[in-house]
Amino acid sequence: MKVLLEAKNVSKHFGGLKAVDNVDMVIYEGDIFGIIGPNGAGKTTFFNLCSGVFPVTGGEIYFNGENITNLRPDIIAKKGMARTFQNIKLFNYMSVLENIKIGFHIHSRTRMWDAILHTSVYKRDEKLAEEKGMEIIERVGLKDYKDILAGNLPYGMQRMVEIARALALDPKLLLLDEPAAGMNPNETMALMEFIKKLNHEGYTIAVIEHDMKFVMNTCNRIMVLNFGKKICEGDPEYVRSNKEVNEAYFGKGIVVQGGTM
Amino acid sequence: MEYLLNQIVNGISQGAIYALMAIGYSVVVGVTGLITFTHGEVIMIGAFASFYIFQYIGNNLILGIIASFIASWILGMFIYYVCYDRFFEAPSHISLICTIGASMLIRNLAQIYFGPNQKPMLNIIDNKVYRIGVLQVSLMQIVILITVVVLASILAFFINNTRWGIMLRAVSQDKKAAYLMGINVRKTAMIGNCIGCGLAGIAGLLISIYYQTLQATMGGSLGMKAFSSSVLGGLTDTRYSALGGLAIGLIENLGITISTASFRDIFAFGFLITVLIIRPEGFASRKGAKSQ
Repeated sequence: MKVLLEAKNVSKHFGGLKAVDNVDMVIYEGDIFGIIGPNGAGKTTFFNLCSGVFPVTGGEIYFNGENITNLRPDIIAKKGMARTFQNIKLFNYMSVLENIKIGFHIHSRTRMWDAILHTSVYKRDEKLAEEKGMEIIERVGLKDYKDILAGNLPYGMQRMVEIARALALDPKLLLLDEPAAGMNPNETMALMEFIKKLNHEGYTIAVIEHDMKFVMNTCNRIMVLNFGKKICEGDPEYVRSNKEVNEAYFGKGIVVQGGTM
Repeated sequence: MEYLLNQIVNGISQGAIYALMAIGYSVVVGVTGLITFTHGEVIMIGAFASFYIFQYIGNNLILGIIASFIASWILGMFIYYVCYDRFFEAPSHISLICTIGASMLIRNLAQIYFGPNQKPMLNIIDNKVYRIGVLQVSLMQIVILITVVVLASILAFFINNTRWGIMLRAVSQDKKAAYLMGINVRKTAMIGNCIGCGLAGIAGLLISIYYQTLQATMGGSLGMKAFSSSVLGGLTDTRYSALGGLAIGLIENLGITISTASFRDIFAFGFLITVLIIRPEGFASRKGAKSQ
């Protein structure tokens, strides 16, 4: 199996706080890779390091065999890594279709004068963006909402628009930060199916999620973070039965000494 | 009555120039998300660029417009790298103070190099006056109106229909998300800032043709008028800024019919205060360009 994303000893310190501490991780092509952990474990920070939002304090990150440590986020995005956010970041004053079309601009060869003079390159690119944008909109089931301002949609749909926008980048790796947060059980089920379908179509997906049912049912490998450290990695069965993971989530059992309590 | 009607015509043509300045201002603020006080100096540099072109190359309005645009674009790049580029993450008052400093620097350098005195602008448009009934419209006013309308339409087309425009809007709405969609935020913000400055430079050319004078210190009150106009649209909405510019032009010219011309600025800034009292967030309902 081909390694798509590899983190080697990655650390991120905010002053004295070790938000991410010496984490090693490998995501293979075709994985649905889950990252779980209690609140404040450093999951989102880890995503931010991978996608270039923060510079790392130490360690190296390789994407598709290339060292992408501390590159600018837009360059990393162009290399084929797209992501969504825990707190949705859509362009609220653009329509759904426009939001998605933004993703296509990196594949565009249109230059400034093409746009001004309306050359054939411009028209072809514009038509392609429109068509592909509609194709993605239909795939995520937002066809009826394409002209509505993204900020006016309900929360669950905004999440789908965000995923659709990430898909427009045509990524090799899709990072989803709590995609099911704020969704009702039906929407979560639909999202699970959708993520599995994307995976079948060839997308590699890394997902942060708190919904354990979601993670255990969709992911084939799971990494558990706690206080910035990796405490466990493996398939869902292994993670479920791991003692340290249970301790991180439920606390240590009280060790009875001397017979009291 | 005749006088009043003609003052309305004057107000509209002068308001059109203010509108162009205000459109530039709202593009700058919209894209960078930070307030600028260098706009007046950009306007002044635009005026001087065309002044020297007219003096040394010839009376060609198109050439003058191009020169103003390029000169203020370059100044816009300077302002971007000095005042904005490193301060997107910082509290917004830092870049604000930085623009005040840059504006003082540019104004004083301009006084050293261009001289502190008023200069007469060459008369590059014929002083022809057309009469329509009781109205008197000069050729200059028509040229100004056409220039502003054409530039505003080009900008509207650029922002709404080209992918570059979509990138600019994306950057103005959410810088972080734009970054992760593969948009080079810094470059895009710089281009947006320079477009706004370029429009302001052309407005500077027009206003110095209109008054037939220019001066190194002209930017102060003009920059404030651009700011006042765009307050109407909450600083970031180009359409309301244009409206605000027109309103200020009209109010000024109607105001001086009931008083004297030296009270011109009182009416302009009275308008600013009124808008701020009635609706400090502006009349545009969108607030897309919040920096957070």
